[in-house]
Amino acid sequence: MIESRPLLSVVDDDESLRESLPDLLQEFGFAVETFASAEEFLASGRIGETRCLILDIAMPGMSGPDLQRELVQRHQKVPIIFITAHADQSVIPRLIEQGAVACLRKPFSDTALREALDAALAPP
Amino acid sequence: VNASSDGSIKWVHVVAQASCWDKDGRVLEYFGAVQDVTQRRLAEAAIDKARSELAHVTRIMTLGTLTASIAHEVNQPLSGIITNASTCLRMLAADPPNIKGAQETVRRTIRDGNRAADVIARLRALFSKKAAATETVDLNETTREVLKLMFSDLLRNGVDLRLELDHDHALLVTGDRVQLQQVILNLVRNASDAMRDVNDRPKHLLVKVEREEGGGARLIVKDAGVGLDPQTVGRLFDAFYTTKSDGMGIGLSVSRSIIESHGGKLWAEANEGPGTTFSFSLPRLAASETDDRTGEAALTPDLRGERDVMRNS
Repeated sequence: MIESRPLLSVVDDDESLRESLPDLLQEFGFAVETFASAEEFLASGRIGETRCLILDIAMPGMSGPDLQRELVQRHQKVPIIFITAHADQSVIPRLIEQGAVACLRKPFSDTALREALDAALAPP
Repeated sequence: VNASSDGSIKWVHVVAQASCWDKDGRVLEYFGAVQDVTQRRLAEAAIDKARSELAHVTRIMTLGTLTASIAHEVNQPLSGIITNASTCLRMLAADPPNIKGAQETVRRTIRDGNRAADVIARLRALFSKKAAATETVDLNETTREVLKLMFSDLLRNGVDLRLELDHDHALLVTGDRVQLQQVILNLVRNASDAMRDVNDRPKHLLVKVEREEGGGARLIVKDAGVGLDPQTVGRLFDAFYTTKSDGMGIGLSVSRSIIESHGGKLWAEANEGPGTTFSFSLPRLAASETDDRTGEAALTPDLRGERDVMRNS
């Protein structure tokens, strides 16, 4: 039963987000894996199963946009929803242009997240 | 002050001396000169205005940097609070309600609320400036406070920060805490900006506070950035001189004047390797000689091990 739920991967260096977001996503009916860094996600072997990636922009080491580029190079077409605690919006248009589904600014509401997920998982 | 023919005001300087007296000692004649000092007056007014504008612009700029850091620091816990509360509502609305799960989300909500409150408390400490601006400032603690606020910014710019505080001594100086924090913020931000386009090497940033022989306290900010052009070193501290495309060239000149008004000096040196080191030195308060142990005990307990806390981890 659990296996049939679509897998979402959350990559964020903020621990309180890695604790709080999975519960909400599970309430939405998804299976969730969390990763503290982009590198950890790349090494996890879960990329192929991931139906949608919820990705922090600013992280130590490899940043969210870095990971986005890496996935494009690997021809991994996993939809990405960016999340960021920074007020600076100037990077957002570029990220959307490069294929991100949405960019949510923290704090975001559960409805905004739900809408972004619906858009990400909608059949093409 | 005279009204001249075109209605503008002329400033004049009059010097006169009695040159002729009658037999009772009353002055019959003065010998004197009237000098038009209008140009000098106008120039002085212009300098005063420029000076206060500089101070204002610096304040706004550092506020901008601070605001971005504060927004980030506060948005993180706020995000946790909102997500946890949303989850809690859903868990309680389920049939049957998931009480255990809801309790856990409430616990996390409280913790994140406290985290946000901590950020505000830190800010309050940063800005709790008395009107009379001289107080005893611990350079260790002040540096740590500034870097805590800048940390996420540095992280975002890919800077690998190493902070070395003097754990063995309280480095007390007398001065305006907020002004000194502005100087530190300026130097660290400059260092981070200088490494913005560096891609072929790690963006190492060393911030070090140390005790100087001979009664000084020193702060060093060493970057691995683009470095200094030997021809421009002499102009670094001039107002409106900048090498940044988006800079205004006032940070360093104002920083130097702040440090000098505290009886210290601020200077720059090219590194052996890539990058630049900016340092300032301030006279250490005599009390910190004898009071080392109590001074150290008065510091916040988490100061030790700060290097680990502040490094990108």
